[in-house]
Order: sequence, then C-alpha cells, then structure tokens
Amino acid sequence: MSFSLNPADFVHLAPVLFLTVWACLVLLASAIGGGHGRHYGLLAILGLILSGLGVALSWVQHVQPATDLFAGMMVVDRFALFLDMIFIIAGILTALVADAYLEEHRFTEGEFFALLLLSISGMMMMVHAGDLVMFVIGLETMSLAIYALVASWPGQRRSAEAGFKYFLMGAVASAFLLYGIALLYGVTGTTNLAKLAGVINGKAGEPLVLVGMFMILGAMGFKVALVPFHMWTPDAYEGAPTPVTGFMAAAVKAAGFGALLRLVAGLFSADAWTFGSTGWINIFWVLSVLTMTIGNISALRQNNVKRMLAYSSIAHAGYLLIGVVVVGLDPSQMGAVLFYVVAYAVTTLGAFAVVAWIGSRDVERTTLEDWYGVAKHHPAVALAMMLFLFSLGGLPPTAGFFAKFYLFKAALSFDSPQMLTLVLIAIANSVVSMYYYLRPIVAMYFREGASAPKPLTSFSVYWVLGITSALVLILGMAPDATLAWAAQALMGG
Amino acid sequence: MVPTGYVLVLAAVLFLLGLVGVVLRRNVIIVMMSVELMLNGVNMTLIGFARARGEMFGQAFSFMIIALAAAEAAVGLAILVAIFRTRRTVNVDEISLMRH
Repeated sequence: MSFSLNPADFVHLAPVLFLTVWACLVLLASAIGGGHGRHYGLLAILGLILSGLGVALSWVQHVQPATDLFAGMMVVDRFALFLDMIFIIAGILTALVADAYLEEHRFTEGEFFALLLLSISGMMMMVHAGDLVMFVIGLETMSLAIYALVASWPGQRRSAEAGFKYFLMGAVASAFLLYGIALLYGVTGTTNLAKLAGVINGKAGEPLVLVGMFMILGAMGFKVALVPFHMWTPDAYEGAPTPVTGFMAAAVKAAGFGALLRLVAGLFSADAWTFGSTGWINIFWVLSVLTMTIGNISALRQNNVKRMLAYSSIAHAGYLLIGVVVVGLDPSQMGAVLFYVVAYAVTTLGAFAVVAWIGSRDVERTTLEDWYGVAKHHPAVALAMMLFLFSLGGLPPTAGFFAKFYLFKAALSFDSPQMLTLVLIAIANSVVSMYYYLRPIVAMYFREGASAPKPLTSFSVYWVLGITSALVLILGMAPDATLAWAAQALMGG
Repeated sequence: MVPTGYVLVLAAVLFLLGLVGVVLRRNVIIVMMSVELMLNGVNMTLIGFARARGEMFGQAFSFMIIALAAAEAAVGLAILVAIFRTRRTVNVDEISLMRH
C-alpha cells in the first residue's frame, strides 16, 4: 500500500479539525478563567456554528464524492455531510440546555463543553470513514468523550455508576468490534470499505467472514442499543446528566445508525440482502422486531420519565432498523431513513430538554408524580412536551407522523410479505407506545400537584424548547424541503 | 517459522480468557485488565494475519489499537476514581444503585 499525503485533503477535514482545536481552546479558557458559571457553552456554540458553516459550504459546493482522501481513509459524500449537520445542530441545542443545567447543578463547565465538542468530532470522523481503521478511531473518540460526559456529574453516585457501566460494556463491545475487523482483514486483506464491498459478496459464506461480521454487528448493536445488546441503556440514560442523555439519544444514535448504514448496507450488494439468499436481511428483520417490541413493552411499566424515554429510544432504534433493511435493498430510499433520523433527533432533544428544565438543584423530578400539575403552572412547556410525546408516538401534525409514514411507505414499496409483516408489527408497536407517551400528558394536565415545580429559569432552555417545538411542527406540516435535502444525501452521492 | 494458525489460535485463546475474566472477576481493576487482554488478542490476530500476508498494515493497525487501549484505560480509571471517592469499593457487584 503506497501512501502519499495530499495537503489539499485537509480542506475536507477542516470542520473536524476545527472542532478538535476549538475543544482544546474551550479547555484552555476554563483553565484560565475558572470552571463554573462562565457560560463556556456560548463559546462551544460559536465553535459549532463555525464548523457547521464549513459543512454547509462543502454541501453547497459538493459536485462529486471524494473517496480517496488520505489514501481512502476518508470519504466526503452528501450522506456524511447531512449527518454532520445533524450532529452539529444536536450539539448546539445540547449546549444551550447544558448552559442553564450545569449552572443550576454546580458543574465545572469547561471540561463538559470540551468533551461535547470532541465527541462531535468523533461522530463526524465516524460517518466520514472510508476505512474501518478510521471508523474505529472516530467511534472511540466519540465513545470515550461520551463515557466521561455520562460520569461528569460531580458528587453524584448515579452518574459515576452509569458512566462506569457504560464504559465497561462499551470497552468489551469495542474489543469485539476490533476482533471482527481483524478477522475481515485476515480473509480479505483490506480494511478499505470500497475495496471490501468489491470482494466480500464472494466470500460472504466463509466462516471467518461470518464470525467477523457478527462481531461487528453485535458491537454496532451495542452502540445504537438494539435488543439484546441494550442492557446498558436504561442505567446509562438515567444516571447521566439530562442534557447528556438527550445528546446520546439523538446524536450518538444518529452517528451509530450512520455508521451502521455505511458498514452493512454499503458493504453488501442488494442481492445479499434479499430474503432467501445469504439472508442478512433476516437477521435485521428479527433484530428490528425484537428491539421495537421489547423496548416498548419495557417502557410501559416505567414511572420514571427519563427511564421511560430511554426505553422509547430503544424502540425507535427498532423502527430505524427497518430503514437499514430498506437502504440495504435499495440505496436510493435513503431519504426516508434520514428524514426519520432528523425527526427523531429533534423530538428527543426537545423531550429531554423538558426533563432537564423541570429539575432544580439536587432534585431531578423525573418520576410521574413530580410532573403532576405542570400544565397549570407552565402551560407553554406542557404544550411543548405534549407535542414531543405526540411526535415520538407518531401522531399528526408532528414530525414523528411523517417520519413513520415515509419510512413505512419506503418499506412497503418492495411488495414482499416479510416487509409487510414488519410494517404491521411496527404499526402495532406504535399503537402500544401511545399508552406510555400519554401518561406524562395525563400527569401534567389532569392531576393536581402537591407543590409547584421550581424549574430552570434561564432563557437558553426556553430557546431550545421554542426551536425544537417549531421544528417538530414544521417537519410535521411541511416536510417537503427537508425530505428533498435528505433524498440528496446518498452514500457516494 | 511458527505456522500462522498457531498464532491465531493463541490470539483467540487470549481474547476468550479476557472475556471470561470480564464476566467472572468481581474486582474492577482485574476486569479492566481483562479488557486489555482482549485487545491484545486482537493485536496478535492482526499481527499474525499481517505476517502471513507479508505486509505491514496489520502491525500499523495494532499500534492504533494500543493507543486506543491507553486512552480507554485513562478514561476508565478516571471514572473508577470518581466511584471510589464516594463508595470506597472496587467490587462490581456493589456498584449498583440503579435496578428496576
């Protein structure tokens, strides 16, 4: 393998490098200026906006995919750029919520925002990966920053415990991922995704390839919380500081699915996906059904809203797997899947922003009883939360409705009985899920609270609630523009 | 020269020993060492394959993994210190506030 470094390649890497450098600057600023109450979040947001401008610029100027950057390590196509934008917007919204939340709960701020920026740079590397080595480095950059973020709540036992559980299982998952990659390298002699795609269909039956693929699949299933690799999710989501939980549910999941689409849907040809041939699709079919059903059933009996939303995010990973199957069969259907990712990310960020908003110092207020009577004292926030819950459940006129509609429509376009059953199971699951999405609404509107909540008063949280609820409504009533963008975001496009 | 198969089997045994250690041992420090053992199993697999193919790529990749393992240990030990400060224990079974 010959390797020559082309300086022009760094232009494409600029948004990622910029974020990394900016994260160090945020750390430096907090080392000089003190750790608490200095609104480093605004500094982080400035960095994210500048990086986002870079991504937007390369989206606008994008003519053809660049696949050979850094000797094939990095790919720039619209698929990756679209996901970059999702990460950056999720990062900005998270930083806005965190700005108020961290002050209330007495965090030291500099490290938090630096880690947030580093995890986003890892996500960007991950979806831009043209090679499994680059993919692993991006994944680990993201994961290590997220482990630290989960455990970052000072003096809180739950936070440290959640971070540790997530770290330990994540480390084992990474070991499996690396072993799987090592086996693929052993059989095919390459870790470049484009080269792998050319040879792997011919070797799909070899035992080492099968074992390797299953290991990679298991590790990715861990990262995006598929059943049966989901055991860490409720604990990590519950113990983490709420803005981090929202960020994990939205951005980490989007990054995981982006990478899964690139690895699995990109690696195998459509023939390897069809029912009855080598049968990759059957595995995803089973995983999808298990994930959405067990996620929803577990969510039914949760009285803790944060934990309930954690199980809900597992269920949504199940719906998104339908999208992985769809893209595996027909890559041109990417738009429906990415639209689902956008709608889900915006809605989840909004819902977790409400959960972060309602708690005050040392009191998280995440059980249903804590939410009694919120509508009487704070009607606007209650309305926004209702909107988010409707969107998660898939009711019109919200983003979640069109997301499910387009996804199911794409799945049904294949005219196969298996896809029809999958969609029917998904619809049955959506109906069941409405039960637990309605419970917080009932608590907020129809129950009397013992005491009025003392939520965060900072304007930055209200900004986030305003932006996300507006987006949920816009995506729910006029989805065409976003859908058109998402449809352009093809792998290798 | 040692046949590649031997190297791969030894690597697989290392990986499995690490996995067994993660599952069975209760001391968190030992569990983290077991994860390192798994990663070293991966390294040995890569090096074995690279030798069989007569190229350097596997070795280069294993250096990346060594760096990743170091970063992972740094973050893991930092979180462990945070836990130890409030609980004075490194036993996996005692680190379980959340159970529903």
